[in-house]
Amino acid sequence: MSKYTEDDLKKELETKEYEYGFYTDIESDTLPVGLNEEIIIAISKKKEEPEWMTEWRLDAFKKWQEMSEPEWANVKYEKPDLQKISYYSAPSNKPKYNSLDEVDPELLETFKKLGISVDEQKKLAGVAVDVVIDSVSVATSFKDTLKEKGIIFCSMNEAIKEHPELVKKYIGTVIPKTDNYYAALNSAVFSDGSFCYIPKGVKCPMELSTYFRINEAGTGQFERTLVVADKGSYVSYLEGCSAPSRNENQLHAAVVELIALDDAEIKYSTVQNWFPGDSDGNGGVFNFVTKRGLCENNAKISWTQVETGSAVTWKYPSCVLKGKNSVGEFYSIAVTNNFQQADTGTKMIHLGENTKSTIISKGISAGKSQNSYRGLVQISPRAKNSRNFSQCDSLLIGNECGAHTFPYIETKNKSAQIEHEATTSKIGEDQIFYCNQRGIDTEKAIALIVNGFSKEVLNKLPMEFAVEAQKLLEISLEGSVG
Amino acid sequence: MLEIKNLHAKVEEKDILKGINLEIKPGEIHAIMGPNGSGKSTLASVITGKEEYEMTDGQIIFENENLEDISPEERAHKGIFMSFQYPIEIPGVTTTNFIKTAINETRKAQGEKEMSAKDMLQKLREKCDLLDIDQKFLSRSINDGFSGGEKKRNEIFQMAMLEPKLAILDETDSGLDIDALKIVANGVNKLKSKDNAVLVITHYQRLLDHIVPDFVHVLFDGKIVKSGGKELAFELEEKGYDWIKEEIKS
Amino acid sequence: MTQLKEKLLSSFIAFEDQKDIDSYVHGIRTKAIKTFEKEGFPTKKLENWKYTSLKKTLNYDYKLFPSETKALEFKDIKKYLIDDVESYKIIFVDGKYSSHLSETTHDGMDICILSSALNQSKYDLLIENYFDKISKKDGITSLNTAFSSEGSFIHIPKNVQVDKPIQVIYFSTGKNESVFYQPRNLIIVGENSQVEIIERHQSLSENSVLVNSVSEIYCNVRSEVKHYKIQNDKTNASLIDNTFVSQERNSDYSLHTFSLGGELTRNNLSIIQNGERIESTINGITIIGSNQHVDHNTLIHHKKPNCNSYQDYKGIFGDNSVGVFNGQVMVEKEAQKTNAFQANNNVLTSDKATINTKPQLEIFADDVKCSHGCTVGQLDQNALFYLRSRGIPEKEATALMMYGFANKVLGSVGITQVKTRINQIIAKKLGVKIGFDI
Repeated sequence: MSKYTEDDLKKELETKEYEYGFYTDIESDTLPVGLNEEIIIAISKKKEEPEWMTEWRLDAFKKWQEMSEPEWANVKYEKPDLQKISYYSAPSNKPKYNSLDEVDPELLETFKKLGISVDEQKKLAGVAVDVVIDSVSVATSFKDTLKEKGIIFCSMNEAIKEHPELVKKYIGTVIPKTDNYYAALNSAVFSDGSFCYIPKGVKCPMELSTYFRINEAGTGQFERTLVVADKGSYVSYLEGCSAPSRNENQLHAAVVELIALDDAEIKYSTVQNWFPGDSDGNGGVFNFVTKRGLCENNAKISWTQVETGSAVTWKYPSCVLKGKNSVGEFYSIAVTNNFQQADTGTKMIHLGENTKSTIISKGISAGKSQNSYRGLVQISPRAKNSRNFSQCDSLLIGNECGAHTFPYIETKNKSAQIEHEATTSKIGEDQIFYCNQRGIDTEKAIALIVNGFSKEVLNKLPMEFAVEAQKLLEISLEGSVG
Repeated sequence: MLEIKNLHAKVEEKDILKGINLEIKPGEIHAIMGPNGSGKSTLASVITGKEEYEMTDGQIIFENENLEDISPEERAHKGIFMSFQYPIEIPGVTTTNFIKTAINETRKAQGEKEMSAKDMLQKLREKCDLLDIDQKFLSRSINDGFSGGEKKRNEIFQMAMLEPKLAILDETDSGLDIDALKIVANGVNKLKSKDNAVLVITHYQRLLDHIVPDFVHVLFDGKIVKSGGKELAFELEEKGYDWIKEEIKS
Repeated sequence: MTQLKEKLLSSFIAFEDQKDIDSYVHGIRTKAIKTFEKEGFPTKKLENWKYTSLKKTLNYDYKLFPSETKALEFKDIKKYLIDDVESYKIIFVDGKYSSHLSETTHDGMDICILSSALNQSKYDLLIENYFDKISKKDGITSLNTAFSSEGSFIHIPKNVQVDKPIQVIYFSTGKNESVFYQPRNLIIVGENSQVEIIERHQSLSENSVLVNSVSEIYCNVRSEVKHYKIQNDKTNASLIDNTFVSQERNSDYSLHTFSLGGELTRNNLSIIQNGERIESTINGITIIGSNQHVDHNTLIHHKKPNCNSYQDYKGIFGDNSVGVFNGQVMVEKEAQKTNAFQANNNVLTSDKATINTKPQLEIFADDVKCSHGCTVGQLDQNALFYLRSRGIPEKEATALMMYGFANKVLGSVGITQVKTRINQIIAKKLGVKIGFDI
């Protein structure tokens, strides 16, 4: 009798086109390729930045030149030639828009294709969206509503000009310019990004959201996000990413800094769907991202990520739990298929007393991909009564992929309580048959099982994002069987 | 409804079924009994289309359609349901979600629209009552951490929700205490109509006290060696399977 | 560090001069010294040595060949032996074989010393087939290989159930000097044979001792090897133990490592499964205090289908001590139906103690069951209170709980006398007199 076999599934998987792989024809304004002081000065100038920012960039560039690319991650790739990248590409239909209605209709069409109808989201969810295409923020919606509450939500570029005191005070404080190779590069060349400030005691009434998209060929994307939640405030921030399919690798090296002052809470959710490369492993985005948050007393930072895209991912959203009773959380789903490689996880640095962290990581590997969890839990001598719970589960689909777990646990305090668990499993043929017998076909069965496997993390996403994330999981994995 | 002709099947190069003939008409309840290893569960797996079981000869006709080359889910869409001897655990997938997916996939295959949330909810409630199931149970991951009895009851619950034409109950009585057995049997009896049929596979007669079969077949070494009415079940219970073996030998 | 390296390199010529330079091993040694010259001692820059620095340990002015040795009597060493069980004994004092303390055999098997195996032509084939075949070619192992001349040689042919355990013990007595030893063990267990081995390094000296030991263990088809390492040395003695195990199908290797003493102890353990249906079990109990440092670096390499591995390491760390656990489980693509379990549980009893743990899984096969769990915590204060409320003094209650924590690992020890001895050492270590029943 015929059966949808593993081979059939694999074939279908391979031929599955990148759903968001399209190219929007928007006129762009691109700087020449290459990286040197002139380019950095040019970027800064184009953005009409104050001098202190130019200096800041140049300092980062100087330090970056002395650094070398990290090699410890469990990924193999041809290092991008950083002199062949254009460090600035902005849609040339300037100037800025006051509302979405003014945005280039073609751009809006892009959003529709992305499946994230901004209009709809605005209406349904009350999400304020900042859209960054090829490194430049083109629209920030709902600005007025936010203004009433004193919330600043704008492009980084604007923030540097309009709120220099805030930017100056916080930028680079959680992730120093010299933190790592790509963070230093970003500090030198970042082109735009989002800035968000929530004043004391304010609960942000809506989800804030940024969409990142690399459009132009041969460009790198280096956006920089800074979220500051002042004392007792709350914000939930969403980030989505996509890029059209191209044969060459594109570089994305972002920096995200979160600062949660006393009693503040930041929820940061990411659905990352950069182009993962084709089924032969050509093209795809190199995603080398540095994300870190700082918690003061009683503050809480929660990272949730659904990582389905990118050819190579190198990303460890981290929490520095500096204040007493502060809480760090990391919930992650990382899916790799075909030739994708992901080395992702988190660092929880416990410095203050009674600090708590939770890590839930779900890795799903299919095709010929390699999926690694790498995490660090560090308890300093001062961090009395700290707690950590980590759970890392891997699901393997097919026999040509790999799942790896590298947890580092460093404890220097006797009152610490740390628990780490990891498991590896596959989707059982008996599970698939059970679903089949109930009339659920194999593809759907896998989606169901993968969703079940990932549930603890999916539950942490804001509703409208969770639906999108579930869809993405299905697209990325349609029908693989073990 | 179901017609099995000269069915031969093997698993891992071992011949298990060696020429089975069986016909089930709408409204009938058939019981297949037999000692361990006689091929009872294999028969259920072959009818439902489990991959590892290879049909080497014969035919299975369901509703005038040859089931060869038809996938397990399509068979389910056509109305074949099996209550598993060992129901499978799927962590993280709630019973509700699972059943909802199963029903809607079946409806989709039949060219119908998805069932509305309201109808679904109503149906879930109704069937919960029928089988004396606490609704909290619906939000638990399917079979994950369920007791043996809970798993079996869940199987019958799914059957109630899916309303199959042919229900195959594979050793549904194993792991059930007498009260649970009565609830399950009661549920099956209530779901029974002149249009559907039930195939009960069991080692013991006790389930047949509650689900009374119209026909009893004895399976031995891959063949049906004796068929009769419900009294055959009593006879087996009383005398064991040895007399059948003797009878075959002579 | 550089000084010591230079000293080692220049001593090599003198060392080799005394040996037969035409021998097979000469070539291996010469190659090894070159590797050591290139690689040198490991530093914290290496991922596998991230948490352990040899800087201080290598800073002593070690003699490489002790100039004076003290004759030992049985009474001097009795307490370091498991003396209440019949056993074969291979005893070395200051790097030299001590025949009057030993009890070896050539009766149907060889339980003897490496120097005789290296020097007698009847062993040539075994040496060529097994010597330096599975040891890693890193700096520290190569150093041992370059200077390897003495150690235990155990060769059990097919179908032999060795009648009693084998104790391999290295003593050092150096009175006025610090010494650096390079003992080398070669253990070959034939098809369907069984053997139990107890291994120990003990300093009787007041001066610093550093032992860099290498053991190669071959477990042939259906063989069963039970291995115990008792590490309870003085706090001026350090040990780098490199153990390489190669297992063939249906073999069963188990190791218990009791790290209860020493200044710095580093255990490099690597197990390679070359066939199907292999069992590998490695367990450890580490209880240390003061400025002691124990680092367990383990690798279990699953290469073939249907094999199991179990790891259970428990550690209790007091004072300024540092514990490291770096456990790697590698499952190759071919190794379907692998079951690999790894547990590492730690208790810190002091605010100045540190534990660094890194349990790694690297999985390339899909139909496997692999899990690891690791915990760091302190003793349950409620349970402690419960015990005290029943009249057990705090110290004893604490000891009892620590004992309970480590007990699971002791439970799987096969030789009762070893179990009793470890119990005694632990009780002493915890400063209590209570006897722990098992």
